[in-house]
Amino acid sequence: MNYGYCNQALRINLSKNSIEKEALDPQFLKDYLGGRGLNVSRLYEEVPPEIDPLSEENKMFIGVGPLTGTLFPGAARVNFTAKSPQTNILGDSNTGGFLGSEIKFAGFDQIILEGKADQLSYIYIKDNQAEIRSAEHLSQLDTFETQRKLKEEIDDSRVQIAAIGPAAENGVKFSGIFCNMVRAAARTGMGLVLASKNIKAIVVRGTTDLGAKEPDKFKKMIDKMDKEIKNHSEYETRTRLGTTQLVSSLNELGCLATRHFQTGYFAEADQVSGEYLEENYKQKEKGCFACTIPCSRFFEIKEGKYKGLKSEGPEFEGLAGFSSRVGVTDIEDALHGVDLCNRYGLDVITTSECISFTMELYEKGILSSEEVDGLKPNFGNSEAVFELIEKIKNREGFGDVLADGVLTAAEKIGRDTKKLAMHVKGLEIFQADPRGIKGYGLGVAVATRGGDHLRSEPWFEFSEDAEAGKRRFGHPESAFRLEYKGKGRVVKFYEERCVLADCLEACKNTVVNMEIISFQEAAELLNALTEYDFTAEEIQKSAERIMNVERAYIVREGIRREDDSLPERFLKEPLPDECGESAGSVVELEPMLDEYYKARNWEVATGIPTEEKLRELGLEKIIVDLKERNII
Amino acid sequence: MYDLKIVVEKIEGFCDLPMEVGDYFTVSGGKIEIPEGKHMCLWAMQSLMPVLPAKQREINEENDWIPHTKRFICPDPNGGVVFRIDRIDPKTGKSVKEEVEIPPRIQVNAEACTGCRACETVCAFVHKQTFNAEKSRIKVEKNEIKGEDTPFVCRQCGDAPCIKACPVNALSRDFETNAILVDKDKCIGCYKCAKACPFDAISFSENDVALICDLCEGDIECVKRCPTDALKFDNKGGKE
Repeated sequence: MNYGYCNQALRINLSKNSIEKEALDPQFLKDYLGGRGLNVSRLYEEVPPEIDPLSEENKMFIGVGPLTGTLFPGAARVNFTAKSPQTNILGDSNTGGFLGSEIKFAGFDQIILEGKADQLSYIYIKDNQAEIRSAEHLSQLDTFETQRKLKEEIDDSRVQIAAIGPAAENGVKFSGIFCNMVRAAARTGMGLVLASKNIKAIVVRGTTDLGAKEPDKFKKMIDKMDKEIKNHSEYETRTRLGTTQLVSSLNELGCLATRHFQTGYFAEADQVSGEYLEENYKQKEKGCFACTIPCSRFFEIKEGKYKGLKSEGPEFEGLAGFSSRVGVTDIEDALHGVDLCNRYGLDVITTSECISFTMELYEKGILSSEEVDGLKPNFGNSEAVFELIEKIKNREGFGDVLADGVLTAAEKIGRDTKKLAMHVKGLEIFQADPRGIKGYGLGVAVATRGGDHLRSEPWFEFSEDAEAGKRRFGHPESAFRLEYKGKGRVVKFYEERCVLADCLEACKNTVVNMEIISFQEAAELLNALTEYDFTAEEIQKSAERIMNVERAYIVREGIRREDDSLPERFLKEPLPDECGESAGSVVELEPMLDEYYKARNWEVATGIPTEEKLRELGLEKIIVDLKERNII
Repeated sequence: MYDLKIVVEKIEGFCDLPMEVGDYFTVSGGKIEIPEGKHMCLWAMQSLMPVLPAKQREINEENDWIPHTKRFICPDPNGGVVFRIDRIDPKTGKSVKEEVEIPPRIQVNAEACTGCRACETVCAFVHKQTFNAEKSRIKVEKNEIKGEDTPFVCRQCGDAPCIKACPVNALSRDFETNAILVDKDKCIGCYKCAKACPFDAISFSENDVALICDLCEGDIECVKRCPTDALKFDNKGGKE
């Protein structure tokens, strides 16, 4: 019986056609906890900076955590990690659903893919075994069809599948990996890494046992957490609307990404909101593996031109991405846009950025209609949105310009358009305007995988609890979204909470936003579950260690303080008057950065981790490596 | 043979006849009597009629539904007039104390099921200390394209066909909890119970022993863990 950990990784070399099992050292598991931690540690060690992310030398690490597959509510997640072909730095993306738990029941904490298969293939993993099978018959199939066909082929309704779509096969840099139809690990181009290895899908089935060292104690703790979750003030909204609640709530705050961040207020938000979706299209609530907060939804459009469109989702990022960000006012158009991205295997955030970027350039007269293949991509033109999605997927016409992401598109277009590309380190930012949520702004600027909110989620800045702000982060202002003082410490704290969530492979809804488990409770849980002993301090330190390994990894790839920035608009252009309390606001990034690096004990001038900090975290090997490369 | 008194117990909708709460008629042998000056709804009577001779008779069959069932509803869906059939002892003229309450059962509402499989996980864990759903006595089938999630679990049928189908008497009923019990030493893994089950609720463990819900000795873990009440344990009619 495995207890929390399977103590085993699966290493598949696709070039050599070799499949090996590797025992995992208990110290490695303790130091890096699981999922994201295991993956980034190996990425640092095994993937040197010189390599091309689309070459055989790149590796993909697929990691699950100690809580994955257990009764812990929402511990359903799995991380995909590699050098990103989109950003050339840390590539890492995480999804829920049912794949993570299945990997665990198949007997593995981690799967490592190396090399490249000589033909399009899929990997079939079942109970401690794996084989590589041909996937030529699945070539160019969309993610839904791929999943459906594989299920049929294997004739087992309980297999779990991670698949890529045609976008990845065609070389789109922001293509993702899709599970349970629409569950997407779509950030940083992990789908393209799989495609570069000639892997169309990974199919997993697990029936091995996974238990808890102290079952009664573990069960009692889970029951207590279930109660806390059900009694939580956010429980009801989260089960009804999930993340889609953010369309109307961010709009009220005046910081909903609208028409490519030209404003934070979308007048038609009520027609594209989570509430509108619930009232008119929602069929039922859906949940990830063993989760007590069914925050996902299944919807169906029953009449009109999209009659018959039904799917799980969307999440906030897709819904706002294909409504407010591109100025589309009909929710059905937005749902269709998200559905296309899911089927083709595209990241909704990056896709919506590329399209809304095109729209702003077109409306400003920087791009002509001829340059965009005769389209007239005004904001709100949903047909142009769909055309551009098709073109991106096929890398044809103007789609080829966009298919490497917004930064490359701006470089290709030139004409000083780079300052309008809404990205950090080559990764496009989400559907909220950092000017109205400054802690998030800092989090996005320093995120180790580029412009992304899920590395920190500094939820505390909505609390408006000045006393807690002073007590926890040294500044009463830290509890207010429009203030910048104290945010460096807030972001550090929440980054480590996010690491904890991504290593336990539990959902950030519970671990980060609802703050259901503390480091102390995490230690108690792991002690009841696993064969190892953890203390709260050790876990917190591991979280900090993982943050530092990630930072060291991107520093080794050339990232410095000047890359921890935000698009110029957020630093210089105040939010317009219609944005309510957020009106007039810009992000005071530099003082927040100073405070953040100090809180991290990184060099303030460069953002490079200090030797002292790395040593404190036991990262001697990284010190040696960075010294050899004359970085420290 | 009992006499019967059929009383309007409550009106959930609207009856424009009107029937009123407390209105009744009696049945004695082959004779129907309506109190003087009162009336009775034709449609309600015609729907009640077939069951009256059955309710008059003593039935000794343990799991027969007739003795348990005493409420019938007017066939007009807008009416919602509920009639209660009381059995009367012809010797004393008093109503007979009602025999048996309908036992509670696991009720499944697939439309509310989120497909999270927490029920499977907790079932396997409390019974076998593993999170491995293969050992669960409840299974959720998912159709992700259609968004359908269907839990399969024992409903504690009154006239349990699984017990009848077992060729080696490995199945029995726990009369305290009403659960179907499996004698794992007797079970030969012939799958006849699974084939007989009208709810497809029986699966098999790795060593071919039938896995059937045992109701956790009354403290039913899957029901407790279900976040949307897709699983319930009670004696009211649930939606399937």
